[in-house]
Amino acid sequence: MLLSIEPDGPVPIYQQIRDRIVEAIATGEAPVGSGLPATRQLAVDLSINFHTVNKGYDLLRQEGLLRIGRKAGAVVQRDASSGPPRPGWEEDWAGRLRTVLAEATAQGLPPEEIVRHCREIVAGFTSGGDGKTS
Amino acid sequence: MTTGALIGYLLVPLFGVFLYIAPLVSRPTVQFGVRVPPAHISAAVIRRERRDFQWRSAIVAICATAAVIAVGGHQAWQSRLILIVEFVADLGCFWLAHRRITKVKAAENWFAGQRQTVVADTSWRAQPQPFPIEWLLPAVAVIVATVIIGIVRYPHLPAHLDRSGHRVATSPVSAFTVVVGQLYVTGLWTWVLALVYRSRPDLDTADPAGSLRSYRRALSAVARAMLIMLACVDLTLLLAALRLWQIWRVSGGAAALVALPAGLGLIAVLTTSVLAGRARARTAVTAGAVDRDDDRFWKGGFAYVNRDDPAVMVGSRAGFGWTPNLGNPATWLFIAGLVTVVAALVIIRFAVGL
Repeated sequence: MLLSIEPDGPVPIYQQIRDRIVEAIATGEAPVGSGLPATRQLAVDLSINFHTVNKGYDLLRQEGLLRIGRKAGAVVQRDASSGPPRPGWEEDWAGRLRTVLAEATAQGLPPEEIVRHCREIVAGFTSGGDGKTS
Repeated sequence: MTTGALIGYLLVPLFGVFLYIAPLVSRPTVQFGVRVPPAHISAAVIRRERRDFQWRSAIVAICATAAVIAVGGHQAWQSRLILIVEFVADLGCFWLAHRRITKVKAAENWFAGQRQTVVADTSWRAQPQPFPIEWLLPAVAVIVATVIIGIVRYPHLPAHLDRSGHRVATSPVSAFTVVVGQLYVTGLWTWVLALVYRSRPDLDTADPAGSLRSYRRALSAVARAMLIMLACVDLTLLLAALRLWQIWRVSGGAAALVALPAGLGLIAVLTTSVLAGRARARTAVTAGAVDRDDDRFWKGGFAYVNRDDPAVMVGSRAGFGWTPNLGNPATWLFIAGLVTVVAALVIIRFAVGL
């Protein structure tokens, strides 16, 4: 799995780490049971503070995507094959999605274009691609 | 030929050639320690500085070699002084090119509006590169041979040993110091190499998977060359021990042969490092992704100081090699430990009158 971050970008680094790992789980690059590097190792590889990696991993743990054990380290706990999400999760997510779609609408993107992007991204995840639209 | 002459005649031209080539075989996106975005790798200032550096470092190498020939290299200190002057002059040439490129880069704002990224490949940790432990065997074999020869020879040694012209009383310490030296050099460099194996690979954002593959190949080649060099250094120490124990009686010019294996080992490491650097310098540069502009962490283009980076060792910017992160307290702890051990060895040496 490739983890690409922008250290000087506007998005906090821990959030970028969390986002990249969520994307890797969605595309099947990091299936259930697959291990992630130890926080110190990933911190060295990205030349960032290890607390930052910890924060990113902790977000994923709170979301139920990651299990962090003393011996096994960080392991992916759920993916698309693990069944439907926990109750209440969908409402939270829809709230965040609303903001993302509102951005596109506010910028003048036609509704059919927005839907096309959504369809392509989801198709990219299920086909094992990176889900990025052209 | 004396050891001083060997240092002069062998090392001065060798370092001259190495310091001439090393900065030229770095990746296209890192020139004289300056991070360059793909759009500017053919900038006029880079082409000019590469050409000028070649001229300057060639003149430095020729002058240093001429100086060694002129003084005859009979005194070891003269050769060492010329070697230090050559190194500092080459560093000056590197720094001059670094400063000029940095100036143009800042004036033209090369990284303006570029999305700068850092990439990590988790497969580096999931499938770590195996340490070539079997290549340590030659060094271990030489140390074991030295110990066995020493033990067999020790009862037959005279009451005093001749150590570089000084007579010292024969004792286990005075007779076996060379083994301590072998263990110290071999242990220290194996440990440093193990640290390198745990450090991060130098990845290109444009082609992370390809650059990881070439990094693995280069690391493996340089590590093997370094382990062979350790065997060569241990062999040099074994030859020195054979002289000390009066098994191998040589004098005059032939005495310089003692240093020959270590010299050949050094040539092997430098050559492998340059070849590995050249292979990586050929990596294709695509305009899509841009590496992070991390020049602010590289002092003078060659010393890495980054307090936020937990790495102890990082890839160096000229040729193929590694350099410590001087911003990490663990690095200073390591350097302090190194200095303490060297100081302790020197104190012990004086205390026991060696």
